[in-house]
Formats: sequence, C-alpha cells, structure tokens
Amino acid sequence: MTPNPLKTQADRRKERIDDLAATAGGSPSGTVTGAGEIEESPGVSLIASAWRRLRRNPVFLVGAGITLAFVVLAIIAPWIAPHDPTQGLLLDKVRQQSNPIPGSEPGFPLGADNRGRDLLSRLLVGAQQTLIVGVGATVIGLVGGLTLGTLAGAFGGWVDSFIMRIVDVMLSIPSLLLAMSLAAVAARPSQMTVILAIAIVEIPIFARLLRGSMLAVRSSDHVLAARALGVKQSAVVFRHIIPNSLAPVIVQATIVLATAIIDAAALSFLGLGNPDDRKPEWGQMLGASQEFLGDHPHLAFYPAACIIIVALGFTLMGESLREALDPKSRR
Amino acid sequence: MTVSETATTEPSTTGDDVLVDVRGVKVHFPIKKGVIFDKVVGYVYAVDGVDLQIRRGETYGLVGESGCGKSTLGRAILNLETPTEGSVVFDGEDIASLSGERLRRKRKDIQMVFQDPMGSLDPRQSVESLLIEGMKAHGLAKDERSAAKRLRELLSAVGLPAAALKKYPHEFSGGQRQRIGIARALSVDPKLIVADEPVSALDVSVQAQVINLLEDLQEEFGLTYLVVAHDLAVVRHISDRIGVMYLGALVEEAEADDLYAQPLHPYTRALMSAVPVPDPLVEDRRERILLKGDLPSPANPPKGCRFHTRCPWRQETRCDTERPQLRVVEVAGAPESHRVACHWAEQIESGEIQAHEVTATLTEQTASGGEDDFVGPASVTEAL
Amino acid sequence: MTETIENVQTQANRNEALLSVRDLRVTFQRHGEKPFVAVDGVSFDVRPGETVGLVGESGCGKSVTSLAIMGLLPRRGVKVEGEVDFQGTDLLRQSDDQMRDRRGRDLGMIFQDPLSSLNPVVPIGVQVTEVLERHRGMSRKAATPVAREMLDKVGIPDPERRLKDYPHQLSGGMRQRALIAMALACQPRVLIADEPTTALDVTIQAQILALLKDLVEDTGTALVMITHDLGVVAGLCDRVNVLYGGKIVERGDRHPLFASPRHPYTVGLLGSIPRLDGTRGERLTPIPGSVSDNLPWDSACAFAPRCPNAIEVCREARPELLDDGGGRWLRCHNPVENPLEVTR
Repeated sequence: MTPNPLKTQADRRKERIDDLAATAGGSPSGTVTGAGEIEESPGVSLIASAWRRLRRNPVFLVGAGITLAFVVLAIIAPWIAPHDPTQGLLLDKVRQQSNPIPGSEPGFPLGADNRGRDLLSRLLVGAQQTLIVGVGATVIGLVGGLTLGTLAGAFGGWVDSFIMRIVDVMLSIPSLLLAMSLAAVAARPSQMTVILAIAIVEIPIFARLLRGSMLAVRSSDHVLAARALGVKQSAVVFRHIIPNSLAPVIVQATIVLATAIIDAAALSFLGLGNPDDRKPEWGQMLGASQEFLGDHPHLAFYPAACIIIVALGFTLMGESLREALDPKSRR
Repeated sequence: MTVSETATTEPSTTGDDVLVDVRGVKVHFPIKKGVIFDKVVGYVYAVDGVDLQIRRGETYGLVGESGCGKSTLGRAILNLETPTEGSVVFDGEDIASLSGERLRRKRKDIQMVFQDPMGSLDPRQSVESLLIEGMKAHGLAKDERSAAKRLRELLSAVGLPAAALKKYPHEFSGGQRQRIGIARALSVDPKLIVADEPVSALDVSVQAQVINLLEDLQEEFGLTYLVVAHDLAVVRHISDRIGVMYLGALVEEAEADDLYAQPLHPYTRALMSAVPVPDPLVEDRRERILLKGDLPSPANPPKGCRFHTRCPWRQETRCDTERPQLRVVEVAGAPESHRVACHWAEQIESGEIQAHEVTATLTEQTASGGEDDFVGPASVTEAL
Repeated sequence: MTETIENVQTQANRNEALLSVRDLRVTFQRHGEKPFVAVDGVSFDVRPGETVGLVGESGCGKSVTSLAIMGLLPRRGVKVEGEVDFQGTDLLRQSDDQMRDRRGRDLGMIFQDPLSSLNPVVPIGVQVTEVLERHRGMSRKAATPVAREMLDKVGIPDPERRLKDYPHQLSGGMRQRALIAMALACQPRVLIADEPTTALDVTIQAQILALLKDLVEDTGTALVMITHDLGVVAGLCDRVNVLYGGKIVERGDRHPLFASPRHPYTVGLLGSIPRLDGTRGERLTPIPGSVSDNLPWDSACAFAPRCPNAIEVCREARPELLDDGGGRWLRCHNPVENPLEVTR
C-alpha cells in the first residue's frame, strides 16, 4: 500500500493496529504432509508449530534471553544487591562543590549517586520497580482493552460505534501527552498513578486490536461452520472467536511491555513519576541524573542503557512472536 | 408444479416428497454509511424473491455467476442469513422463523460444506475435536466408546485413515481438508447438506475425488443435497434438477438433462454457450452467445426483467417494465418440470424472435459491489 | 543437457520461432531450507500468430515459467538457468534495466487478478498512456488518443469517459480488458497470459477469450496461455504443453492431443472434469492422491505414485521427453495406448 501523505499519524497508527489484527483472520497456507497416506504420528497444533519455529529463531532467543535475565534479576535483586539502595553509605565522600558524585571504589564498582547511595544496588533494585510498572501497566491496559474490545466486537451496533469513537479520540492524542496529562491530574503522584496513566494509554490500542481481530475471525468460514453445526452461541464466542483473535493481542502485549517501561521512564524524567526515591526506578534515576549530565554522564548512562536493553529484549521477542503466529509466514 | 403447499412430516418414499420448500425468500442487506453512527442508505437485493422445492433424496443444483445471490440463498435456507421475507419450510417446520435454541436444535438436520476447506476448519482444533463438537452440541456423543467408534466410521466414510484424528487442518492437503469438512457435516447425521462451491477451490484432479465422494455418501446415507456452484458442468454432473439464478432470482428451473438439451431462458443459453468444453471439435463448432456489458449491481437492479440490459432477445414491450415469473412454457418437448422466467421464451425457441446486437452498458461499481461483502452478520450477537 | 533430442528437433524451426525457451530451470533457495526446483528443464517455442498453452495444476511450475521469461522473479533466493531466446537475444542474460525496457514493449503480460495488477490510485487512462510515454516516447497529449483507441479496441464501452476512471470503478471483466489494453499498448510481439480468466465469470471469460483469439489472428502476436482449464485450452491453443511437477510431460497439437491423450496424467485430467456435453450419471475417474505424493524426478517419474499405468521402471528411472514419431512428445515409460478406453 502506498503511504498517503495526507493521512494523519493517528490514522496510520490505527491502520497499523488494524493490519496487525488482520493477520489473525487469514487462512494459513498449510504445510502438506503425506497425502495419500497419513503418517501415524501425533498432530502438531498451531501453538506447537509456532513454538517449533520460535525455538530456531535467533531473534527470539536473544529477546527471550534478555527478558528472562531481566525478570530473574528483578525478582532476586533485593538478595543480590551488595548494599541497601536507600542508605547513603558513601555520603561522606560527597563534596558539594568539588565532587558531588563519588566515583567507583572497592565494594562500589559503579560508585554512588549524589546522596552517596550505591549505584549498582539501585540499578538492581530499580529493575524490580521497572518490572512492576511495565507489567502492571500492561496487565491493566490489557484487561481494560480486552473488555472494551470484546464488548465492541461481540455486541456490534451502537455499542461498537460508541466504544470505537471513544477509542478513536484517545488514539488521536499522542500517547505520551495523554499519559502526562493523566499523571499530572493525580493529586499525589505515586507509582500507582504512573502505572494507571500508562495503562489508560494502552487500553484503546488493545481494544481496537481485539475488536478488529474479532471482526475478521467472526466472518470467517470456520465460525460460520460452527454456527451451522449448531454449536451453542457462548461456545462459538469463547471457543472459536476469542481464541483465534488473541494472537495479535499477545504480540502487542509483548511490545507494549517495552513501551510501558519507556513511557514510565519518560514520566519520571519529566518529574511526573513516583517522587518517593526510596524505591529506585530506572526512569526516576534517569530523571535525577539531569543536573549532573555534563560532568557525570555515567549517572544517566547506566539506567538509560538498562532501559534500552530491556525494551529491545521485549521488542525482539514480540516481533519474532508476531512472525511465528502470523499464518502467512507459516510454511 | 404439483407440489402441495405444506410438505408432509412423515418420511415417504415417493419421488415428489418435498423436504425443503422455499417460498418467496428475500434477503436484502442494508448498505450503511455514517461518520459517527451508521445510517442505512440503501439495500443490496442479494436474493429477491425465490421459490424452490427440494425433494427428499435428490440433488438440487443452484448455478449462477458471482453476485447472483446463490450463496446467500444457500445460507438463507440454513438460516445462517435470516431471510428478510419469505419462508423456508423444512420437514414441515419454517426455519426462517426459528431463532435461539430451537434454531440451534434444528441445525442438526441441515449441514453445510464450504468452498474454502482451510478457512472453514478452525486452525486450532484437531480433527477429532472438529468432528466431535457438533455431536456434543446435539447430544450425540453419549459415551466415549461409541463416540470414538462413530469418529472412525465418519473418517472411513470420507476415505481418511483413523490416524487423521490427532492431526490439525494445516497438516492436510486441500482435498483431504475438504473430506474433513464433509465428515464434520455428516457427524450430526443431517438430512440435507448445502454444499457451497464444494470443489471450486480444489485442483482439477482432486475435484473429481470429492464429487465422487459426495455421490457415494448420498447413496450410502440417503442424503439430500443442495449444491451451489458457478460451474455449470459440475452442477449438471451431480444434480438431478438445476435452478439457474441471475441477480437474485431464479430465471430457469429444469431437470438437469432437459436444461442441457433445451435451455429456454436467454441467460441460460448464453451461460451454456460460454462454458468451455475440453474438446477442440466441440469448441471449434459451437456458436457462442457473447453477452455484452456487466452484471448490473444488485444494489440497483434493473426494472422489469433483470436480464433485459444484456439480453440479445430483448423486446420493446414488457421486458423493461414487467418482471417475469417462473412459468411452464408451451414449447414442444418441454415437460411441466421445466419452468422459465421469460416473457418471450416460446417465441425465442420457435425463432420468431431473433437475437440482435446489444449495446454494452457499464455498471458503476459501488463500494459494496460483490456478494461476498454482505455475507455475515454485523455482530456476533446478531449472528447467534 | 537432459533434453538433447528435443534440442536437435527445435534447432530446425528456430528461425521462425519468436520466443524459444530452452531447458529453463528455476530453483528456489530459501535460507536454511532445501532448494526447491519449481521449473525443471522446460523447453518450448512460440511462433508469431500462434497460441501455445501451458496447462497444469497448482504447483506444476506454469506461472513460475512465465515470471522467469518476463524477468519478474526476484534475483535473491531464486536461480534461473537455461535460455529464453527472443529474436536472437537471451532474455535471461539481460540486465534488470534492459528487461524493464522490454516488458511492455516486446513482451506483454496479463495476470490473473486484474485489480491487484492495476495501480489503484491512478486513473486507467493515465496507466495506459504511461506505457506509451515510456516505451514509445510519446507525449501525454499524443498518447491519450492512442489510449482511447486501445480501450475501444478491447471492447470497453464509452472509452472517453473510462480514461478518467479508477480501477475500482470498473467491474472485474472491464479491469481485465483495461489490463489487456495496457499490455497491448505498444503492440508487443509476445503476450503472456497467466490464468487471465480464472477470476472471472464464465460469460465474461468467454468475452475475454474471444478478444484474445481475435487479437492473435489480427495482429500476429504470439500468445503464451497459462491455465489450469483444459476447456480454455481446447478452444484457444494451437499447441499444448501439459506440465506436471515442473516438467513438460506431454506436448502436442490441440486436435490430436485431445482426441488421443497418451500421458496418463493428461488422460487423468480429462477424466476428472465433468463435461457439459457428457453423459450424465457417468462416474468421473479421478487421479488418486495429490501432488504431495510426488517422487523426485531425478530417479523416477514424479507422477508414478498416482499413476494407474505405473510399472516398475517408473519408480526407478527418469523418463525423458521424447517424440513418438507423430509430433507428439511424451515423458512416460508406459503411455496409454488406447486412451478412449480410459477416458470415456
């Protein structure tokens, strides 16, 4: 399709989401095995064959490796962190005028921040907070989006029109701006307000995706076949329509994990994040490093690198997942 | 036709026993437009008044080109598309007026075979789960033992080994998938099978396998078929009676051999002359009636006879004002079962009216051009 | 060289052949997968004013053959070997730019799906004039009347108005006509039609086939007709090549080929399709199995597992395409002797 310059960015974003949804509807071109005779082997389901392809995909392996390392580190961080991330252990090394940031020394490989707290420990424990924000925002966004999408997709008519118009309006506002406004509205910013602000931004994306996907699946022949067979309505929706519509949503969720982490960092950087710095979070660390950026860029570099690597991990995983689940790419 | 208005409910063995009685069925799809909320701005007259009867044990072939409404009519008979008007009396009960649980129960008796064998099988289901789903829905899979036995019977009926049960649709070839689709239709022990283009997605060499299979199954299980297809040669091969559709209505109906021997409607003549025959001798000899122009849009069908815009035998009177109904024509050799919707069928057959040049008119393609755009309801709840 | 005998035979009439394909072999090599030979040593000639048919089912290599001739296969991951001789130049040795020049000017092509072959955002008229501007160096102004004439010639009513129409405003049949008009705009010597009527209704198909037939008769264009429909072939093609598994398995002139098909696959195809004029109620004789049952060509006949005539040697040695003495070419160890008994 030729890109139309007149299209707004929101339009294109809508289209991308709809395109992604369409991948669920197509009929896969099957791999043909023995035809005259059928092998006496157990069949390979779609998920099993997708997994087979994933396992051999180096992109997926890298993405999954990064993600797994991140999750494991985040969970065990409190136990492996060399120091308490909230204690100003190197406070005595902080010289307000000459050297506000203590450099590395034995036991403190990355040095400390301006309050003398161990940087490595803060990064490790920060992984936990970052994971909580990312997963929390994605899960809430997913649940909200799936609910709205299912309602719109299942009822159609004016319910669909109503929900989708709201979704369109939300999609037309740049996501970060929306998240910022939501976070700014909160009386007392906290971790929860960050999570909610990002989750609300993700809701319309998931809703639109699921609805588009359900529309495509609903008009497919196999759903018609199930109805013609006399399968109960609830079973048609829950056994045929929804499971076949979920693939693009799962892919999107993986990618949203990455954007949620980046958005959380952006909010913190802009001072709309969790003000409580006893719970370190990468975005918040990045924000705090602003005033020392000139002389001590490493303060910004470490959390930024962590954010980029983790976001990359989720994105690689999501992209390879999309490839594996896309019926068109199956051979 | 000498068919009584109401079909008898008791099964009988006479040839004229009507299983499905379609009366005045219309299916009109609204064309919606709107910025925020959709408004109905017109209708697509996909099926616009069809009467037909299918007798127990026969194969009725419905033939026509894309956009003629044949698939929609097939779905309307199953009430997968609720008719806007008219009745579909199946075994004494009007299916068109059923809904909810009663319709669901009735679905056991009428099954469907689809064109696209891959698209009509849920890619996430194994063959076993595909086949057992309908049986469970109708309480036919009482205990596991008999269900397993039934599954194996079904597979062997369609010529697949029991090893297929554990496999998934994408692991089969096109012909095998179509066999699975047929087995699924058979699984609930139906009386009527509506086959919508059952072979057109298959390779030529495989088509014959499926056609033969359908014929064998009909004999074995005493099935009644409604075969919907665009290929007149295929339809003529398997059908006992054929209805030719053009733009939402039947234009001719006859026994398969009568239709071939003596097509009476101008459209049937053109259609028949256009079907290529794999024989150069026939191809070199035959005279083609080439239709000019396009099929008019079903959203804006012509007044009078639907075919008059392309008909080489169109007359000054009646054709563009009066819509012809199916009627028995007084033509030598045409039996009572041969009905034609043409004002001038007798005169055309006798040569009194000669074909003339037609100036082609083009149809403006609306955004809602094809029939395919309209199948399927607007929402899931509407669908169920 | 695998088809030496054939090469000798075709050397004689090479002078008159407009397009001659020699031992064309197309191999798809995807990263990390086994190479797949889609077209395997296909050779045929087309003379001016002649229609040559390539017939076969999906996966027989007929469409890949046409794309290879047109130079439309991607360079990466596809290996094209052999020779495609067009008036003394080997098209396979031409650069992408040279081929781009030839397509539309010397070689025209019509595809199955007219909608996706036309640019949806450009009016039909502009698409036809663009071809003229590019290949015949005409100005837009000079090209427009020619474009109108082309549309008229392919039977599009009211061409003046249709010049300004976009593809979506035309019906399928009219789109295919517009595509034919584009392919013919520069009067190419060779026209390749890949399933040109498969997406169309049968009454529209009859219109398009009549158009192609007139065109070949009137202009002396050489037509390569690629189709799965033996009925279309019977009415249109002078010579017929039946393809199976990437190789030509039977070749002959249309009348003798249909009167007495000798390769079991050709016989099987003819027995599989119900004929409109056949006796009703007669059973069809399908070909068992599907193409996935094929054996590799290098050590056997690919069709052997599905062949009712197969004998031991069919699974052990590759058959070659040989002349049976009467102008019929066969790739079969055990051809059908009396085809009438097998068909009907």
